[in-house]
Amino acid sequence: MLSHMLILAQATGSAAEAAAAHGEASTGITTIFKNFGISWPFILAQIVNFCVVAFVLWKLAFKPVLATLDERNKKIASGLQYADDMKAKLEAVQQESVASSKRAQVEATRIIDEARKAAKEFLDKQAQESAAKAGEILAKAQQLIELEKKKMLAEARTETARLVVEITQRVLARELSDAERGRYNESAARELTNI
Amino acid sequence: MASHAKAAQQLARQLFKMSVVDGVVSAERVSGVLAYVEKHRPINPVMVLKAYQRLVAAELARAEAVVEHAGAVSEAMLGAIAAAMATRYGRRITATAKRGDALLAGLRVRVGDDVYESSIAGQLAALAQAV
Repeated sequence: MLSHMLILAQATGSAAEAAAAHGEASTGITTIFKNFGISWPFILAQIVNFCVVAFVLWKLAFKPVLATLDERNKKIASGLQYADDMKAKLEAVQQESVASSKRAQVEATRIIDEARKAAKEFLDKQAQESAAKAGEILAKAQQLIELEKKKMLAEARTETARLVVEITQRVLARELSDAERGRYNESAARELTNI
Repeated sequence: MASHAKAAQQLARQLFKMSVVDGVVSAERVSGVLAYVEKHRPINPVMVLKAYQRLVAAELARAEAVVEHAGAVSEAMLGAIAAAMATRYGRRITATAKRGDALLAGLRVRVGDDVYESSIAGQLAALAQAV
Protein backbone atom coordinates (compact mmCIF):
# COMPACT_ATOMS: atom_id res chain seq x y z
CA MET A 1 0.00 0.00 0.00
CA LEU A 2 2.81 2.39 0.91
CA SER A 3 4.70 1.52 -2.22
CA HIS A 4 1.57 2.29 -4.31
CA MET A 5 1.33 5.72 -2.74
CA LEU A 6 5.03 6.43 -3.34
CA ILE A 7 4.60 5.49 -6.96
CA LEU A 8 1.49 7.69 -7.14
CA ALA A 9 3.40 10.64 -5.63
CA GLN A 10 6.29 10.20 -8.02
CA ALA A 11 3.86 10.03 -10.91
CA THR A 12 2.10 13.18 -9.73
CA GLY A 13 5.43 15.02 -9.52
CA SER A 14 6.37 13.86 -13.03
CA ALA A 15 3.02 14.98 -14.44
CA ALA A 16 3.36 18.47 -12.96
CA GLU A 17 6.78 18.80 -14.36
CA ALA A 18 5.57 17.62 -17.76
CA ALA A 19 2.67 20.12 -17.78
CA ALA A 20 4.94 22.96 -16.86
CA ALA A 21 7.39 21.93 -19.55
CA HIS A 22 4.83 21.68 -22.31
CA GLY A 23 2.99 24.72 -21.13
CA GLU A 24 -0.24 23.22 -22.22
CA ALA A 25 -3.35 23.70 -20.20
CA SER A 26 -4.62 20.29 -19.86
CA THR A 27 -7.33 19.99 -17.33
CA GLY A 28 -8.13 17.90 -14.34
CA ILE A 29 -8.10 14.29 -13.50
CA THR A 30 -8.90 13.12 -16.97
CA THR A 31 -5.58 14.30 -18.19
CA ILE A 32 -3.80 12.68 -15.30
CA PHE A 33 -5.59 9.35 -15.81
CA LYS A 34 -4.78 9.57 -19.41
CA ASN A 35 -1.15 10.38 -18.91
CA PHE A 36 -0.69 7.60 -16.37
CA GLY A 37 -2.59 5.06 -18.45
CA ILE A 38 -5.22 4.42 -15.81
CA SER A 39 -8.36 2.70 -16.87
CA TRP A 40 -11.48 2.40 -14.76
CA PRO A 41 -12.05 -1.34 -15.31
CA PHE A 42 -8.54 -2.07 -14.44
CA ILE A 43 -8.88 -0.01 -11.29
CA LEU A 44 -12.11 -1.74 -10.37
CA ALA A 45 -10.60 -5.11 -11.04
CA GLN A 46 -7.71 -4.23 -8.83
CA ILE A 47 -10.07 -3.01 -6.15
CA VAL A 48 -12.08 -6.21 -6.33
CA ASN A 49 -8.92 -8.19 -6.42
CA PHE A 50 -7.64 -6.29 -3.39
CA CYS A 51 -10.89 -6.83 -1.52
CA VAL A 52 -10.82 -10.54 -2.29
CA VAL A 53 -7.24 -10.80 -1.22
CA ALA A 54 -7.97 -8.72 1.85
CA PHE A 55 -10.99 -10.85 2.71
CA VAL A 56 -9.04 -14.07 2.22
CA LEU A 57 -6.17 -12.74 4.24
CA TRP A 58 -8.64 -11.53 6.92
CA LYS A 59 -10.31 -14.89 7.08
CA LEU A 60 -7.38 -17.22 6.69
CA ALA A 61 -4.45 -15.35 8.17
CA PHE A 62 -5.28 -12.21 10.04
CA LYS A 63 -8.19 -13.60 12.03
CA PRO A 64 -6.40 -16.75 13.23
CA VAL A 65 -3.39 -14.63 14.07
CA LEU A 66 -5.62 -12.21 15.97
CA ALA A 67 -7.29 -15.19 17.67
CA THR A 68 -3.91 -16.57 18.55
CA LEU A 69 -2.81 -13.17 19.77
CA ASP A 70 -5.99 -12.80 21.79
CA GLU A 71 -5.53 -16.25 23.20
CA ARG A 72 -1.93 -15.44 24.03
CA ASN A 73 -2.99 -12.18 25.53
CA LYS A 74 -5.64 -14.00 27.52
CA LYS A 75 -3.10 -16.59 28.60
CA ILE A 76 -0.67 -13.88 29.52
CA ALA A 77 -3.41 -11.99 31.33
CA SER A 78 -4.53 -15.14 33.08
CA GLY A 79 -0.92 -15.93 33.88
CA LEU A 80 -0.45 -12.45 35.24
CA GLN A 81 -3.73 -12.78 37.11
CA TYR A 82 -2.63 -16.16 38.38
CA ALA A 83 0.69 -14.65 39.38
CA ASP A 84 -1.10 -11.81 41.08
CA ASP A 85 -3.43 -14.28 42.74
CA MET A 86 -0.51 -16.43 43.76
CA LYS A 87 1.29 -13.39 45.01
CA ALA A 88 -1.78 -12.34 46.96
CA LYS A 89 -2.20 -15.88 48.21
CA LEU A 90 1.46 -16.02 49.09
CA GLU A 91 1.12 -12.78 50.96
CA ALA A 92 -2.02 -14.07 52.64
CA VAL A 93 -0.25 -17.30 53.47
CA GLN A 94 2.73 -15.36 54.76
CA GLN A 95 0.45 -13.15 56.80
CA GLU A 96 -1.43 -16.21 57.96
CA SER A 97 1.87 -17.87 58.75
CA VAL A 98 3.00 -14.82 60.69
CA ALA A 99 -0.34 -14.65 62.47
CA SER A 100 -0.24 -18.38 63.11
CA SER A 101 3.29 -18.02 64.40
CA LYS A 102 2.19 -15.20 66.65
CA ARG A 103 -0.81 -17.21 67.81
CA ALA A 104 1.43 -20.22 68.40
CA GLN A 105 3.84 -18.05 70.30
CA VAL A 106 1.01 -16.58 72.35
CA GLU A 107 -0.40 -20.06 72.94
CA ALA A 108 3.03 -21.38 73.86
CA THR A 109 3.51 -18.46 76.23
CA ARG A 110 0.10 -19.10 77.75
CA ILE A 111 0.83 -22.83 78.12
CA ILE A 112 4.20 -22.08 79.67
CA ASP A 113 2.58 -19.61 82.05
CA GLU A 114 -0.10 -22.12 82.95
CA ALA A 115 2.53 -24.82 83.43
CA ARG A 116 4.54 -22.50 85.64
CA LYS A 117 1.42 -21.58 87.56
CA ALA A 118 0.42 -25.23 87.93
CA ALA A 119 3.93 -26.14 89.01
CA LYS A 120 3.92 -23.33 91.54
CA GLU A 121 0.53 -24.37 92.85
CA PHE A 122 1.69 -27.97 93.01
CA LEU A 123 4.80 -26.95 94.89
CA ASP A 124 2.77 -24.79 97.25
CA LYS A 125 0.33 -27.62 97.81
CA GLN A 126 3.14 -30.08 98.39
CA ALA A 127 4.75 -27.68 100.81
CA GLN A 128 1.50 -27.20 102.67
CA GLU A 129 0.86 -30.94 102.82
CA SER A 130 4.39 -31.55 103.98
CA ALA A 131 4.02 -28.89 106.64
CA ALA A 132 0.69 -30.36 107.72
CA LYS A 133 2.18 -33.85 107.86
CA ALA A 134 5.16 -32.60 109.77
CA GLY A 135 2.85 -30.83 112.18
CA GLU A 136 0.77 -33.94 112.58
CA ILE A 137 3.82 -36.09 113.18
CA LEU A 138 5.13 -33.54 115.64
CA ALA A 139 1.80 -33.44 117.47
CA LYS A 140 1.69 -37.23 117.61
CA ALA A 141 5.25 -37.34 118.85
CA GLN A 142 4.43 -34.79 121.50
CA GLN A 143 1.34 -36.75 122.52
CA LEU A 144 3.41 -39.91 122.66
CA ILE A 145 6.05 -38.19 124.72
CA GLU A 146 3.37 -36.81 127.02
CA LEU A 147 1.81 -40.25 127.41
CA GLU A 148 5.19 -41.82 128.06
CA LYS A 149 5.91 -39.12 130.58
CA LYS A 150 2.60 -39.67 132.34
CA LYS A 151 3.10 -43.40 132.27
CA MET A 152 6.59 -43.05 133.64
CA LEU A 153 5.39 -40.69 136.36
CA ALA A 154 2.58 -43.07 137.26
CA GLU A 155 4.98 -45.98 137.40
CA ALA A 156 7.40 -43.95 139.49
CA ARG A 157 4.58 -42.86 141.79
CA THR A 158 3.35 -46.44 142.12
CA GLU A 159 6.80 -47.76 142.75
CA THR A 160 7.49 -45.01 145.26
CA ALA A 161 4.25 -45.73 147.06
CA ARG A 162 5.03 -49.43 147.08
CA LEU A 163 8.47 -48.79 148.50
CA VAL A 164 7.10 -46.39 151.09
CA VAL A 165 4.43 -48.87 152.13
CA GLU A 166 6.91 -51.73 152.24
CA ILE A 167 9.41 -49.73 154.28
CA THR A 168 6.64 -48.53 156.58
CA GLN A 169 5.43 -52.09 157.05
CA ARG A 170 8.94 -53.25 157.92
CA VAL A 171 9.52 -50.38 160.29
CA LEU A 172 6.16 -50.79 161.97
CA ALA A 173 6.59 -54.55 162.21
CA ARG A 174 9.88 -54.00 163.99
CA GLU A 175 9.12 -50.94 166.03
CA LEU A 176 5.50 -51.48 167.21
CA SER A 177 5.36 -52.82 170.76
CA ASP A 178 2.73 -55.23 172.02
CA ALA A 179 1.17 -52.49 174.09
CA GLU A 180 0.82 -50.28 171.04
CA ARG A 181 -0.67 -53.15 169.07
CA GLY A 182 -3.09 -53.82 171.90
CA ARG A 183 -4.21 -50.21 172.02
CA TYR A 184 -4.62 -50.20 168.26
CA ASN A 185 -6.62 -53.42 168.48
CA GLU A 186 -8.93 -51.91 171.06
CA SER A 187 -9.48 -48.96 168.79
CA ALA A 188 -10.12 -51.28 165.83
CA ALA A 189 -12.56 -53.36 167.89
CA ARG A 190 -14.49 -50.24 168.80
CA GLU A 191 -14.56 -49.22 165.19
CA LEU A 192 -15.75 -52.63 164.02
CA THR A 193 -18.45 -52.88 166.66
CA ASN A 194 -19.81 -49.51 165.59
CA ILE A 195 -20.19 -50.40 161.90
CA MET B 1 -27.54 -88.08 135.88
CA ALA B 2 -28.91 -84.57 136.22
CA SER B 3 -32.01 -85.90 137.95
CA HIS B 4 -29.79 -87.84 140.44
CA ALA B 5 -27.80 -84.69 141.23
CA LYS B 6 -30.98 -82.71 141.70
CA ALA B 7 -32.45 -85.35 144.00
CA ALA B 8 -29.19 -85.46 145.98
CA GLN B 9 -29.23 -81.68 146.39
CA GLN B 10 -32.82 -81.76 147.53
CA LEU B 11 -32.13 -84.53 150.06
CA ALA B 12 -29.03 -82.70 151.34
CA ARG B 13 -31.10 -79.55 151.87
CA GLN B 14 -33.71 -81.54 153.82
CA LEU B 15 -31.01 -83.11 155.97
CA PHE B 16 -29.43 -79.72 156.58
CA LYS B 17 -32.74 -78.24 157.72
CA MET B 18 -33.04 -81.07 160.20
CA SER B 19 -29.52 -80.29 161.48
CA VAL B 20 -30.33 -76.69 162.43
CA VAL B 21 -31.85 -75.90 165.82
CA ASP B 22 -32.78 -72.30 166.64
CA GLY B 23 -30.71 -71.04 163.70
CA VAL B 24 -27.60 -72.93 164.84
CA VAL B 25 -26.14 -76.12 163.47
CA SER B 26 -26.46 -78.76 166.20
CA ALA B 27 -23.69 -81.28 166.55
CA GLU B 28 -26.09 -83.87 167.85
CA ARG B 29 -28.42 -83.43 164.93
CA VAL B 30 -25.52 -83.66 162.50
CA SER B 31 -24.43 -86.93 164.12
CA GLY B 32 -27.97 -88.21 163.84
CA VAL B 33 -28.18 -87.23 160.18
CA LEU B 34 -24.91 -88.97 159.39
CA ALA B 35 -26.10 -92.09 161.20
CA TYR B 36 -29.32 -91.98 159.23
CA VAL B 37 -27.48 -91.66 155.93
CA GLU B 38 -25.19 -94.52 156.86
CA LYS B 39 -28.09 -96.71 157.80
CA HIS B 40 -30.48 -95.86 155.00
CA ARG B 41 -28.11 -95.38 152.13
CA PRO B 42 -29.66 -93.02 149.55
CA ILE B 43 -29.24 -93.58 145.81
CA ASN B 44 -26.09 -91.49 145.60
CA PRO B 45 -24.73 -91.17 149.15
CA VAL B 46 -21.42 -89.51 148.22
CA MET B 47 -23.13 -86.73 146.31
CA VAL B 48 -25.65 -86.24 149.12
CA LEU B 49 -22.93 -86.07 151.78
CA LYS B 50 -20.84 -83.60 149.76
CA ALA B 51 -23.80 -81.28 149.29
CA TYR B 52 -24.71 -81.66 152.97
CA GLN B 53 -21.12 -80.85 153.99
CA ARG B 54 -21.13 -77.70 151.83
CA LEU B 55 -24.37 -76.52 153.40
CA VAL B 56 -23.17 -77.21 156.95
CA ALA B 57 -19.80 -75.55 156.32
CA ALA B 58 -21.47 -72.48 154.84
CA GLU B 59 -23.84 -72.26 157.79
CA LEU B 60 -20.99 -72.68 160.27
CA ALA B 61 -19.03 -69.97 158.43
CA ARG B 62 -22.08 -67.71 158.56
CA ALA B 63 -22.36 -68.34 162.29
CA GLU B 64 -18.68 -67.79 163.00
CA ALA B 65 -16.73 -64.53 162.98
CA VAL B 66 -13.04 -65.23 162.41
CA VAL B 67 -11.12 -62.36 164.00
CA GLU B 68 -7.64 -62.13 162.55
CA HIS B 69 -5.37 -59.99 164.71
CA ALA B 70 -1.81 -58.80 165.23
CA GLY B 71 -1.07 -58.23 168.86
CA ALA B 72 -3.12 -59.15 171.88
CA VAL B 73 -6.92 -59.52 171.68
CA SER B 74 -8.95 -59.87 174.84
CA GLU B 75 -12.02 -62.03 175.30
CA ALA B 76 -14.01 -58.90 175.89
CA MET B 77 -13.08 -57.64 172.43
CA LEU B 78 -14.08 -60.92 170.84
CA GLY B 79 -17.37 -60.89 172.71
CA ALA B 80 -18.09 -57.33 171.67
CA ILE B 81 -17.32 -58.13 168.05
CA ALA B 82 -19.48 -61.27 168.15
CA ALA B 83 -22.35 -59.31 169.66
CA ALA B 84 -22.02 -56.56 167.07
CA MET B 85 -22.02 -59.08 164.22
CA ALA B 86 -24.97 -60.99 165.69
CA THR B 87 -26.88 -57.72 165.86
CA ARG B 88 -25.87 -56.87 162.33
CA TYR B 89 -26.81 -60.25 160.79
CA GLY B 90 -29.70 -61.07 163.10
CA ARG B 91 -28.40 -64.49 164.18
CA ARG B 92 -26.14 -65.94 166.81
CA ILE B 93 -22.50 -65.59 165.86
CA THR B 94 -19.46 -66.79 167.73
CA ALA B 95 -16.05 -65.12 167.45
CA THR B 96 -12.85 -67.07 166.87
CA ALA B 97 -9.40 -65.48 167.16
CA LYS B 98 -6.73 -66.14 164.56
CA ARG B 99 -3.26 -64.65 164.65
CA GLY B 100 -2.16 -62.71 161.58
CA ASP B 101 1.08 -60.77 161.96
CA ALA B 102 0.78 -59.43 158.41
CA LEU B 103 -1.81 -56.98 159.71
CA LEU B 104 0.97 -55.26 161.75
CA ALA B 105 -1.70 -54.01 164.16
CA GLY B 106 -5.50 -54.10 164.14
CA LEU B 107 -8.28 -56.57 163.32
CA ARG B 108 -9.82 -58.25 160.32
CA VAL B 109 -13.20 -59.93 160.86
CA ARG B 110 -14.52 -62.47 158.35
CA VAL B 111 -18.18 -63.57 158.54
CA GLY B 112 -19.04 -65.91 155.72
CA ASP B 113 -18.05 -64.02 152.58
CA ASP B 114 -18.06 -60.61 154.27
CA VAL B 115 -14.80 -59.06 155.51
CA TYR B 116 -14.46 -56.08 157.89
CA GLU B 117 -11.02 -54.71 158.50
CA SER B 118 -9.40 -52.03 160.61
CA SER B 119 -5.67 -52.57 160.48
CA ILE B 120 -2.46 -50.76 159.68
CA ALA B 121 -1.77 -53.12 156.77
CA GLY B 122 -5.18 -52.33 155.33
CA GLN B 123 -4.65 -48.62 155.67
CA LEU B 124 -1.23 -48.86 154.05
CA ALA B 125 -2.70 -50.88 151.21
CA ALA B 126 -5.44 -48.30 150.77
CA LEU B 127 -2.80 -45.57 150.78
CA ALA B 128 -0.73 -47.35 148.13
CA GLN B 129 -3.85 -47.88 146.05
CA ALA B 130 -4.81 -44.21 146.34
CA VAL B 131 -1.37 -42.98 145.30
